[in-house]
Amino acid sequence: MTERKGTENGKLLQVQGLRMHFPIHKGGLLRRMVGRVKAVDGVNFYVRHGETLGLVGESGCGKTTTGRCILRIYEPTDGQILYREVQGSTVDLTQVEGGALDRYRKEIRMIFQDPYSSLNPRMTVLDIIGEPLRNFEGASGGELEDRVAEMLRRVGLRPEYIRRYPHAFSGGERQRIGIARALALSPRLVVADEPVSALDVSVRAQVLNLLVDLQDELDLTYIFVAHDLSVVRYICDRVTVMYVGKIVELAETEALYREPLHPYTEALMSALPKPDPRLRSERIILEGEVADPANPPSGCYFHPRCHYAQDKCTHIEPELREVQPGRYVACHFAEELSLRGVTRSRRDN
Amino acid sequence: MVVGDDLLLEVKDLKTQFFTNQGVVKAVDGASLRIRRGKTLGVVGESGCGKSVTARSILGIVERPGRVVEGEILYRRSLDGNGATYEELDLAQLKPQGREFRAIRGSEISMIFQEPMSSLSPHYTIGNQIAENLLLHQEMTPEEAREQTIELLRQVGIARPQLRVDAYPFQLSGGMCQRAVIAMAIACRPSLLIADEPTTALDVTTQAQILDLIQSMQQELGMAVMLITHDLGVVAEVADDVAVMYLGRVAESADVDTIFHDPRHPYTRALLRSIPRAEGAIRERLNPIRGMVPDPFNRPSGCVFHPRCDAMEQGICDGQAPRMVEVAPDHWVSCWQTTE
Repeated sequence: MTERKGTENGKLLQVQGLRMHFPIHKGGLLRRMVGRVKAVDGVNFYVRHGETLGLVGESGCGKTTTGRCILRIYEPTDGQILYREVQGSTVDLTQVEGGALDRYRKEIRMIFQDPYSSLNPRMTVLDIIGEPLRNFEGASGGELEDRVAEMLRRVGLRPEYIRRYPHAFSGGERQRIGIARALALSPRLVVADEPVSALDVSVRAQVLNLLVDLQDELDLTYIFVAHDLSVVRYICDRVTVMYVGKIVELAETEALYREPLHPYTEALMSALPKPDPRLRSERIILEGEVADPANPPSGCYFHPRCHYAQDKCTHIEPELREVQPGRYVACHFAEELSLRGVTRSRRDN
Repeated sequence: MVVGDDLLLEVKDLKTQFFTNQGVVKAVDGASLRIRRGKTLGVVGESGCGKSVTARSILGIVERPGRVVEGEILYRRSLDGNGATYEELDLAQLKPQGREFRAIRGSEISMIFQEPMSSLSPHYTIGNQIAENLLLHQEMTPEEAREQTIELLRQVGIARPQLRVDAYPFQLSGGMCQRAVIAMAIACRPSLLIADEPTTALDVTTQAQILDLIQSMQQELGMAVMLITHDLGVVAEVADDVAVMYLGRVAESADVDTIFHDPRHPYTRALLRSIPRAEGAIRERLNPIRGMVPDPFNRPSGCVFHPRCDAMEQGICDGQAPRMVEVAPDHWVSCWQTTE
C-alpha cells in the first residue's frame, strides 16, 4: 500500500530538537529544584501530509509527552515544532501565544486513551461533540445538532443517541464518541494517544478500521502513539521507536519489521507475544527495567540492558543518524549487527 | 485435554450469579473446564465473559452480592505430593469462610492479580506480607519466615533481596511488585496458581520477564497454572490447554495448537481473525466481530453468541443453549452448527 495518496506530499509537521523537562521540587515552603525529569530530550522527526506516523515505546519513553507538546498541552522546554499551514506558509507552534493558538487547536486535535475518563459523565453526547463546534465555530441550535448527528453517523453511531450520557455506551462506543469529538472541526492533524489499548480485542479491530476509513475520507494525518507493536503495524506508514526520551529508530513500517536496526527495537519485537503456538521462539528477554529519565545512564541510555553493548556504548552517546535513505538509527553498531525482525523469524521457522 | 490421573481440578457446570438491585447478573452460567496437574490452562475471553469470576469462584472469593449457585468445583488434593493418590474435594460445597477452605486458599491454591500495586498493602513491607502467608500456613518462627522470604525474593529474581525484604511497595517498580506478589503466591508451594491478567498492567519487555518467571517457577515447583488473559498472544506463548469463554460460558476448549490451528467454534474463529497477526501485511484491514458484547442484564436466548455469529441459524441457535460436545478427543465445543 505504498502508493497511498499523500505519502509523496510535503511535510505537514516537523519537530526539531524538542525537549520537555519537568522540574523535580523538594521541600514545602522553600521549594527548590533538585533535578529534572527529561521526559523528552532532543527529538527530531517529521510527519508527511496524509500519512500515519507511529510513536512507539514503553511507559516513560516520552511518546505521550511528545504528542502533548505538539498540541501545546505542555510548554516545551526547547525546540521547534514547525507546522505547515493550508496556504503553504510555515509557523513554529512553540512561538504562538494566546488567542493566536486557537487556529491551530482547531487544526490539530487529540484522541485520548481511556474512553472512560476522557468523556465528562455529566455531559450528553451532543454537548461533548458539540463543545468544540460551539467554542470554535459558534454553532448552535439546529445547526449544531445536525452537525453532531452527522459526526455520529460518520463514526458508526446512531444519531438517535445524541441526548444520551456516556454511561449508556460501551467502551468501544465511547471511543467512537471521542473520535467524533476530535474530528468535529475537520482537523488536519490528529494525535491519537493509545486510542485502542483500553478496548477489547474484537472491538479494537472495529475502531482501528474506523480510523483508517476516516483518514481516507477526510484526508487526515495521524500521529499514532502506542505501546503495542502489533497494532502499529496495521495503521502506520512509518514508525518512530522511543526509549527514555530519545528516538532510537525511525523507519518505514515494512522495513522496521523486516529488519530492525536498533537492539531495543529487536527486543521489543521479540517480546511481543505472537498469536500462534507454532511460532514460540526464543524470546529475547531484556534484563532490568526502563531507565529513570531523571537519572539516565551514561553513554547510550540503552546500554545497561543491551545484549550487544560494548565499551564504547557506556560512555559515548550515539547520535540519531540516517543509515539508509529514510532510516534513522541511534546505535554505534547499526551497520554491524544483524538483528531479528518479525517477518524474517517466521521464515526461519 | 487428557483427562486421567493428571487431572487436578475440574469445574462442572458452574453458575455464579450476582444478585443486584437491578436484577440477577449471570456472570458465569454453566462453565466447565479442566486443569491438568503441572500444566498451564489459558482462559481467554473479552471483558464480561466471566473468566475472572470463574477464578474467584474456584478460590471462594466471589464478592457479595455474588455467590456460586450451582455446579461443582472438584479439586483433587494430592496426598503424596505427585497426585498418584488423592482425595477429591468439591470446593463449591465448602464454606468460603470456613477453616477447610482457608487452609487451601493461599497455600494449595493461590492467586495473583492484575494490578500488582493494589494487591499489596501500602502500609507493610513486602517482606512482612510474604512472611504473613508463611506464618499462617506453615509452622515456623518469624526468623525462619524472614529467611525463607529472602530466599523467595531471590527465586523470583529480585536483586539484593536482603535489602528489598524491608522495602515498601511504593519503593518498587510495577514489574518488581509483580515479582513480590508472585513470591507471595508461591510461598507455600501451591499445586495450582491462578494468575488473573498478571501482565496486563506491565510493559511489553517486563511482560516477557514475568511470563518467563511464572513458567520457570512452574517447572521448579510442578504446579499447575490457570492463566486468565484477554491477550491471545500471551496464551499462544505459554498455555498447554486453552478454554475460550464468552458471556459466562466456555465456548470451546482444547489443547493450544488445536485452538489456534483447528478452531471449531465461530467465536474462536472470529476472535482469531480479528487480532493483528505478526505476519499480516502492513496496513492490512482487520476483520472485527460485528456488534458488541451484550450487557449482562440482557443475555441473548439460546446460544449467547448467536446475535454476532455468521453461522447463526434461525430457530436453532436462538432457541436452546447448546451443550458442550466432544468433537475430537479432548476437544470440546459448545455450538449447534459444529456439533450437529
